[in-house]
Amino acid sequence: MPASTAGAASSRRNRRGSRAERLAPLVLLAPAVLVIAGLRLWPLVLGINFSFTGDGDRNGLAVGFDNYLTLLGDPLFRTALRNVGLLVLLLPVAVAIPGLLATFIYLKVPGHRFYRGVYFFPAVLSPVIVGAIFNLLLAFDGPLNALLGGLGIGPVDWLGDPDVAIFAVVGVHVWATFGMALVVFLAGFATLDSSLLDAAKVDGASLPQTIWHVIVPSLSRTIQFVFVTTMIGMLTSMFGLVYVMTSGGPEGSTYLPEYYVWIQQGQMNQPALASAASTALFLIMLVVGLAQISILRRAGKED
Amino acid sequence: MKQRTPWTAALVVGLALTAAGCGSASGPGNSSGGSSDKLVVWDWKSGDAKAAGYVQKAKADFAKKHPGVNVEFVAQPFDQYYTLLGAAIQSGKGPDVILFNGGGQIRDRSDALAPLDSYVADDKQRLAGWDAFTKGGKIYAEPVTLQGHPIYYNKDLYSKAGLNPDAPAKTLDEFIRSCGAITQKTGAKCFSLGNKEGVGIQFWLSSLGSAVLTPQEYDDWVAGKRNWSSPDVKKIFELWKQAGDTGLNTDGANSTAMFNDAFASFNSGKAANIIGLMSDVGHWKDFAEFLTPEKVGVMVAPQVNPAAKPSLPYDGGIGYAVAKWTKDPKLAADLVRSLTSTDALKAFFVDGGAIASDTTIDTSTGGPAVKTIVSDVKNGKPALHVALGSKTVDLMGRLSQQLLSGSITVDEVLQQLAASDKTG
Repeated sequence: MPASTAGAASSRRNRRGSRAERLAPLVLLAPAVLVIAGLRLWPLVLGINFSFTGDGDRNGLAVGFDNYLTLLGDPLFRTALRNVGLLVLLLPVAVAIPGLLATFIYLKVPGHRFYRGVYFFPAVLSPVIVGAIFNLLLAFDGPLNALLGGLGIGPVDWLGDPDVAIFAVVGVHVWATFGMALVVFLAGFATLDSSLLDAAKVDGASLPQTIWHVIVPSLSRTIQFVFVTTMIGMLTSMFGLVYVMTSGGPEGSTYLPEYYVWIQQGQMNQPALASAASTALFLIMLVVGLAQISILRRAGKED
Repeated sequence: MKQRTPWTAALVVGLALTAAGCGSASGPGNSSGGSSDKLVVWDWKSGDAKAAGYVQKAKADFAKKHPGVNVEFVAQPFDQYYTLLGAAIQSGKGPDVILFNGGGQIRDRSDALAPLDSYVADDKQRLAGWDAFTKGGKIYAEPVTLQGHPIYYNKDLYSKAGLNPDAPAKTLDEFIRSCGAITQKTGAKCFSLGNKEGVGIQFWLSSLGSAVLTPQEYDDWVAGKRNWSSPDVKKIFELWKQAGDTGLNTDGANSTAMFNDAFASFNSGKAANIIGLMSDVGHWKDFAEFLTPEKVGVMVAPQVNPAAKPSLPYDGGIGYAVAKWTKDPKLAADLVRSLTSTDALKAFFVDGGAIASDTTIDTSTGGPAVKTIVSDVKNGKPALHVALGSKTVDLMGRLSQQLLSGSITVDEVLQQLAASDKTG
């Protein structure tokens, strides 16, 4: 509203037009800039500043890099960072699954309409509900272990074995979110030139050859987009699942940075240390984000 | 334009003010609690139907003393409670009266609270559980409930196994033998255990502690002189590992939540015993949906060390504190006193089954388990895990999971805990 009033005011007063014209862009930009600066950048600066102060007895005192040293020395935070590394390594799998399924739907396997709806269904469930469902399914005396027992395979403590739990949580996260990526892939397929597929068929290409030499190159922009969004999703929205499914355990093996931040601030009453951990997470996101932007830009040039 | 000018100005002033307080966690010393004719209470109880009668009685008691004062209860979700409270404390404003768990949760935050010693002297005899709300000799909250860790057992399963349900085992060897008989006859395990959050070890340490440590060791531990290399302390953790290794616990303990999966499996007869709670959840009344009160037995820990004197471990459970920033601490303290009045606490016991801090309440309606617990309170001692700092307790949870999965030795566990206990 202030912007439109300002615009009307400047057009009415023609005599002082040049000055008003010079000011107009600033005035028009001001609300957006103030919102970003006041509600985004300034709190960020405050948070970073806060991470250099102490907790408890040293509340409010400047402590330099102490909190960051504490973080580096904390095996839990190191586990959280290692798990972030693991997520990056698992990223190709998380992208390949919706990619492959979308390909099958595009190639019209029998029942593809049904699968299209079913695959998207988990994407509308909240992580808490998904976590609760899988808590039941993956319980030690739950249905999955009963099924495995029927096949003669010993029970696996899916959420209680530190070597298995993180994969169980990531697996459930992929299950819960791949529907969105699938839709993006299907949209990408809509732009695919079907004459290329026909040509491949005429040339006698097998299915793997068609996927590798025709579909993947044509969809490179879509694949990159899905990579970026999936990575962001994995780094920022797994809190709910971790909270409900494992509480960071067993043995702290499923800690992620955001869960660590929450524990330090809410349970351990160490807000400054939590700020330092948030800043570290922010830096990780910044590096990952910049890397992805540069990859996207390079891909854009190729086109 | 007209609208924006004051708004921008306000923002600039706001930024400048924040910049002035920059680097300080608590900010300038502002103190805007409720005004003096209104008190705001934060808790996680008042939204619960079981606590409705309690809140109503407390409000009525307070209204009698201060007719003109408005009291507002704000029920927060418990899993976010201390996070929200942390934000309020950082900003130096928020509720006037605050519900706390006893032990580390209130001691860690005592800087933000007003000492209540001068207001609550009259209640000191009537109520029990003060220690959990005391730091440095000052009282920061009045106890509402008592929280502790009795061992509950399923009398039905004991009868089915041919054991006398009214005479539970007195020594650990005897206890393990009766567990063997129960498992053989009924298929039920000895302990229902949930250690997903690392809570199982806390209950274990506190429940078995008095049966393993000598009275001297016990009192030293609570007083802060903890000897982690003592063979008796080691024994508690060895027993934890043994119970896991020899299959006394329900399966998959590390992936079972104590709240409420472990209690559910005790309820449904999958295990004969559980180390439970006295208030809130996981107590005799909580089991009543499936196990009627006369089927639930209670025992203190079976003797492990002949020199030990097994007793009921308990502390103040939850209690109301007064924020430092409140306008009129005397008024807020009066509300705290109403919240711990005998009538209100009686309603809490009758409706919710909590063991209230008021030792004068008639609990004869509660069934045999309550009678045993209330009589055990007289000889009870503070629980061992409550004396530990929250970091050490958190670490102990993770280490206990490693003990169950066999990826660490008891000696390593004690070393790490000793180091953590030293640094606080």
